[in-house]
Amino acid sequence: MNTENERKGEVIVDFDFGSDSVALDLSSKVHQLPCAIKFDGPCSVSHYFKPKSTGMEIDGLTVEEAYFRGRKLLGATISLPEGYSGYVLGRKSLASEHRQDSSPWQVKAKFENITYWNHDTLPSQDDMFQRSFHWLTVAQALHKPVTAEDLESASTALKNMS
Amino acid sequence: MSSQDPLPKWASKPCVMGIDEAGRGPVLGPMVYGCLYCATSYLIELSSLNFADSKTLREEKREELFEDLKANESIGWAVDVIDPRELSSKMLNKVKINLNEISHDSAMGLVTKVLGMGVLLTEVYVDTVGDSEKYRIKLSEKFPNVKFVVAKKADSLYPVVSGASIVAKVTRDRALREWALEETAENMHRNFGSGYPGDPTTKCWLEDHKHSVFGFPTLVRFSWGTCTSYFKDVVEVLWESDKVDEDGGTAGSGKKQLRLSNVGITTSKRKSEEIESNAKGRCKFFQARKLEQLTHF
Repeated sequence: MNTENERKGEVIVDFDFGSDSVALDLSSKVHQLPCAIKFDGPCSVSHYFKPKSTGMEIDGLTVEEAYFRGRKLLGATISLPEGYSGYVLGRKSLASEHRQDSSPWQVKAKFENITYWNHDTLPSQDDMFQRSFHWLTVAQALHKPVTAEDLESASTALKNMS
Repeated sequence: MSSQDPLPKWASKPCVMGIDEAGRGPVLGPMVYGCLYCATSYLIELSSLNFADSKTLREEKREELFEDLKANESIGWAVDVIDPRELSSKMLNKVKINLNEISHDSAMGLVTKVLGMGVLLTEVYVDTVGDSEKYRIKLSEKFPNVKFVVAKKADSLYPVVSGASIVAKVTRDRALREWALEETAENMHRNFGSGYPGDPTTKCWLEDHKHSVFGFPTLVRFSWGTCTSYFKDVVEVLWESDKVDEDGGTAGSGKKQLRLSNVGITTSKRKSEEIESNAKGRCKFFQARKLEQLTHF
């Protein structure tokens, strides 16, 4: 069943955190860097990555600065849009995967904001990362179910035009 | 940091200033520009103070001379301490600023500062950085009322520059000695050595503080060629700005710094897609926002 869904471009995620755990809250700890780090795994980030406030404010964004591998990063922390949350997914352990009805993905942590960083450029509302959220508005306009009231007002508008 | 106000009376008479640097070569710690100035009429006496090129003096002697010159009311001084983070980031910026330019800017900053204090500078002696004549023209254009002498080995030729070299060297050594490491990892130590890439103590420190993801603590100048040899087995990091670099070709001066633009990185075009998502084949709205459809992960 899972494979079939994945083929259709869907991924089933188990949002049940299990009896023993609540998803870890990573708010203010999720960073989007302007580079690809070819590493997956735990790392002592907080001992080395030390964002500081610059005291600068641009486009309503509080500018922070940090250094990574000798490069200066300028960034801002933004809240995720209302109604959305960020999740870190992980594969379930093998033991639980044997359960027939369950999906292989499980929420390991969640976050409500994200700090994105530019290399050597001040953050602004024009940044690609900020602009990607435009999709949410467009998606809503395209996919929100049409209600009877919507149809009625649309047809009234049409009538008025003729 | 500089000698304090109020401005001494002699400063309104014609004054001479020397500028020198310390810590240009080291792979760690700040680079310091220092200057020393006095009335032209004081020059003969200055020569009798035994200022010599700081490199020829022992550390204790330098410290002693620095204390002497600080106490001397006929002498003024100032320093510009350039943080290693600033050196690395400028040299690795999208638009790279090389070390000569950083040095020129620092020296000019000192001249601006001293003139701004109201000191009547008429002559300034500087050690050469890059092409000496080009440097002299650059300085003269910026400060048309000051006569500049740009000379090789100025620190051993002119006592004002020797004095400046002591100011710079002592400040650099103290700054490194008292450096507050930003990183809070365990097992960090402070046996930095001189900071020169060839110094065995420095080599040890670099080896001890290598980190597979972060490279080094920010005390290290990542833009130095020395780092490359330590980065052979660290995690690869690809930057968007290096991709641009390669496409545009960093033409011209194939000097030390440029080679360093790929510190710990092997840049290649095939990798560009791994750095940022592309939205090939999707409509403009998605392409402009680099929104890719992800069906498998």
